[in-house]
Amino acid sequence: MNLVRDVLDKELLDYEEEPMGRVDGLVMHVGKSSQPRITHIEVGGAAPWGRVHPAFARLAKRLALVWGPRRREQVRIPWSRVKAVGRDIKLDVEAKDTGAIDWEIWIARHIIERIPGSGSEEADDGY
Amino acid sequence: MKKVLQITLGIVTSVGGFLEIGSVTTAAQAGASFGYKLLWAILLGTICLIFLVEMSGRLAAVSKHTVVEAMRGRFGFPFFFVVLIGIVLVAFLVLVAELGGIGLSLQILTGIGFPWWAVPVSFAVWILMWKGTFSLIENGASMLGLVTISFVVAAVKLHPDWGGAAHGLVPSFPADQKAKYWFVAVSILGASISPYLMYFYSSGAIEDEWDETYVPINRVIATFGMSLGGFLSMAVLIVAALVFHPKGIDIQKFEQASLLLTPALPKWGFFLFATSMLFACLGAALEISLAIAYFFAQGFGWNWSEDLTPSRDARFCFTYTIIIMLAAVPLLFGVDPIKVTIISMALTSATLPLAIVPFLFLMNDPIYLGEHRNGWVSNTVVAIIVLISFVLAVISIPLEIMGG
Repeated sequence: MNLVRDVLDKELLDYEEEPMGRVDGLVMHVGKSSQPRITHIEVGGAAPWGRVHPAFARLAKRLALVWGPRRREQVRIPWSRVKAVGRDIKLDVEAKDTGAIDWEIWIARHIIERIPGSGSEEADDGY
Repeated sequence: MKKVLQITLGIVTSVGGFLEIGSVTTAAQAGASFGYKLLWAILLGTICLIFLVEMSGRLAAVSKHTVVEAMRGRFGFPFFFVVLIGIVLVAFLVLVAELGGIGLSLQILTGIGFPWWAVPVSFAVWILMWKGTFSLIENGASMLGLVTISFVVAAVKLHPDWGGAAHGLVPSFPADQKAKYWFVAVSILGASISPYLMYFYSSGAIEDEWDETYVPINRVIATFGMSLGGFLSMAVLIVAALVFHPKGIDIQKFEQASLLLTPALPKWGFFLFATSMLFACLGAALEISLAIAYFFAQGFGWNWSEDLTPSRDARFCFTYTIIIMLAAVPLLFGVDPIKVTIISMALTSATLPLAIVPFLFLMNDPIYLGEHRNGWVSNTVVAIIVLISFVLAVISIPLEIMGG
């Protein structure tokens, strides 16, 4: 597997095949006596912006503290939860439990569901 | 039958490319200033668009990924970010122009100035997106857009010199007004080959759940849809060539263009022009708003679909809500939609390579397309389009200064 070509930037799908972001970064563990190995996938937050310029990452971190779900730590999903790597990356997690769609839920609850006709009143719809 | 009805996706896409304020004003300006001489630019734009739209539909049908999803996956976030800035900025300006186009149409119908229409028009576009489904937008915009066939009726009724028009399909070099000639030619190409069309069409193919069996019908849809748009745009140019060119009238204002259909259709011409522009700009505004929201959602991996209730794809709906609200602001302050149109067309040309170059790589990627990768014909055409896009990128801004 070519990590940059086959994994980085690919879409992440949860166990119900719902989109939950993209692979914005990869965390590698480099041990003294073991082979380097990928331990986590980073999703959202400052991860993609840091790849453009560190200043963007700093700005993303600051903005995240003053507005929105105010999550301090980067969302990381253990590599062990990867079920399949293809055109998309399939995971055996529920998107909601990972923090990857915190922004989706926050915008839905604080903005969209307050507008009439958002569909939030329908059973099993919305967050 | 279901596949044949997908022709509406082709029609609505071509409305956004050919029958919006930019294309109509440039085609009218071309006809008024240069007679039939610039028909070749519309033909070239149509051919380029047929190939690009067919490819974006094929990519979606085979890979189940839109152009934006594939671009982010293949080229990474930093590249996606650069394209995002360029394409979204230009698409936003085009959206301002289209909302302004609806306002101008209402202005000539009611006499109430377009700035007063900025908020109601933006709200109408937003509510259609908020409450509507993809098929409602697709079919509604296609059906309403068909009123623009009145341009063809007018062209036929004015008995054009078909031989002269056929000559116009071959590029020629003007004896005078060279800068203006090339500026209008570049504007026509910029107004036709709009990258957001590819993003919209491939997203539409996913919304309509296309699969590999749609590859042959996609060719028909792309060819028919874009040809129809090109054909209608040519009709606008021909009518302008017959109505304005002999009298030496140079179109500077929307109000002048509104008299386009009156000589051929004295009773209904003015009303038909206004409603044609209103529906065409409405279709284009819906298409562009959706294309921008698709771009963000697909690039960042959010949930997206016009068929989901807004609470299920909150960030997608939030994006188009903000974009439409922001687009109303310049119009509210009376910024001239025609000036925005002219600037946006030149900038579209300047940003074309950003959209077309990655496309060439994607369409040859076996991971996404397998056996449906581009053949040598498609690759040659895209290579030519890439070349055209670089030329347009280099000359569009200087030409705007000299010829605009």
